[in-house]
Amino acid sequence: MGMKELADDLSSRRSRARAMGGGGAVTRQHEAGKLTVRERLDELFDAGTFTEIGILATHAGIAPDLAGRETPADGMVTGFGKVDGRLVCVIAYDFTVMAGSMGRTAELKANRAREIALTKRIPMIWLIDSAGARIQEAIGSRNFAATGTLFREESIMSGVVPQVAAMMGPGAAGTAYIPALADFVPMVRGTSNMALGGPPLVKAVVGEDITAEELGGSKVHCEISGCADLEVADDRECIQVIKEYLSYFPSSNLARPPVVSTSDPVDRQDPELLTIVPDSPRRAYDVRKVVRAVVDDRHFFEIKPAWAKNIVVGLARLAGHPVGIVASQPMVLGGALDNDAADKAARFIMLCDAFHLPLVFFQDVPGFMVGSKVERAGIIRHGAKMLYAVSEATVPKLTVILRKAYGAGYYVMCGRAYEPDLIVAWPTAEISVMGPEGGTNIVFRREIAAAADPSAERARRVEEFRKLIDPYIAAGAALVDDVIDPRETRPVLIRGLEMAQGKKIDRPWRKHGVMPV
Amino acid sequence: MAEEIKAHITGVVFQIAAKTGDAIAVGDPVIVLESMKMEIPVEAPRAGTVTEIRVEEGQTVQEGETVAVIE
Repeated sequence: MGMKELADDLSSRRSRARAMGGGGAVTRQHEAGKLTVRERLDELFDAGTFTEIGILATHAGIAPDLAGRETPADGMVTGFGKVDGRLVCVIAYDFTVMAGSMGRTAELKANRAREIALTKRIPMIWLIDSAGARIQEAIGSRNFAATGTLFREESIMSGVVPQVAAMMGPGAAGTAYIPALADFVPMVRGTSNMALGGPPLVKAVVGEDITAEELGGSKVHCEISGCADLEVADDRECIQVIKEYLSYFPSSNLARPPVVSTSDPVDRQDPELLTIVPDSPRRAYDVRKVVRAVVDDRHFFEIKPAWAKNIVVGLARLAGHPVGIVASQPMVLGGALDNDAADKAARFIMLCDAFHLPLVFFQDVPGFMVGSKVERAGIIRHGAKMLYAVSEATVPKLTVILRKAYGAGYYVMCGRAYEPDLIVAWPTAEISVMGPEGGTNIVFRREIAAAADPSAERARRVEEFRKLIDPYIAAGAALVDDVIDPRETRPVLIRGLEMAQGKKIDRPWRKHGVMPV
Repeated sequence: MAEEIKAHITGVVFQIAAKTGDAIAVGDPVIVLESMKMEIPVEAPRAGTVTEIRVEEGQTVQEGETVAVIE
């Protein structure tokens, strides 16, 4: 063949790979409500910026039943391209080729993509739509003994580059550990699921009859297990949230979060802030209203919105600078912290700290849950994760006490001792080891019991107790930096962020701490 | 179009804040639940007219239970 013929041959090889698993498989993919892997990548990357590597790959030729067949790109598209002008690396499974099963060649391609992401310090994105390992190629000790590299490398890449694993189809068995080790996991409703053991294995091992959706669908992981971050309606929305998530993060921990311009005035004072928190301390409200009234363009990208709803975490911007928000949610459990809430907040704080995103805490926390149920579930251990994460974080930390700041809740929500660069209170703030009712019952137990009218005595003592937890006392002792008009919250936070930008904290040398997981 | 308003938490009905026929705006409390010593409003997800209140004061409602219907 001459060079022209060789070039034509190359072109036809590429065309065969781009046809993926063929017409029938592509139709079935669409009928399942899913885009094909190549359509997904078209949605993800800026037009014309994707460079594919490994398009000519096929299976490793070790499974007899694959002899004479090709597996286009070996069921996985890998490469790099630009998302909103910045490079990212991608590993995208192709369900139309052998159900997106992970073959040996595909594994080499994935290793290559991760190597690019790590050594060039660019974010790593997985689009998962895979039946798991390709058993035909993994069976036997010779084939299996050396595998597993991906999870070790993903662990090592954690906190170095942003890692996103989008569930856009099944993610069975070992594949489910890819999202487990990633920073952000959106799940498409209805088409995605993940489980360490799929329904047939579950049936065989524990005898349970269950569908993949019931076992590990988006509702399970976004509302019950907390293994995923955001439920999305379809593939397009999934790609959209990946892009938005990335927009808050630097390409690696060597860079700073990208700053965008905003038309939202830095000195905007939202009058709504005067009415969101009710006069009665017993009355709940949706703290997200406070967050939205403060952040740029009222835009808040909430993470894990449907799990551990007693704490709200998410990403937003202040004067164009990305920040992580951690807010008590009085609407659920009165904002009291439990095991899952502590876990959710601790992980989010570590995520923001790893990538230099300042943290803004909004406190209205009556403390940690008590009782045998939470103690048996290890609330001490889980609560400690949050103490640990907020103590470790060296990014700028800003604290606004909206209302209750009780007990260890005050600590984990970045109280004075946890190095907030600015800590301010609204006039409604109550800073106390515990609430007036509970505190009075303990401190004045004898006096109340001995009184002629115990309930009147209790009410009188509660009122006295309440006077002691007034924020002006803490401000008078310079233990909070200021009491602010709620409307000033946005300008005060923006000035605090600007002040804290050059924050530099040195910790004593250690290999690493012992995280109370 | 009718829309059911569901309790987002389990609690005891502390107060019925709206009555049948009331016009309500997004975010207005329809009922108030008591849980964890807190009064927790169940808010209208959109504007409309209350056509039905399905609970009474003092009643325990479960998370996800319909407490009212708006039109």
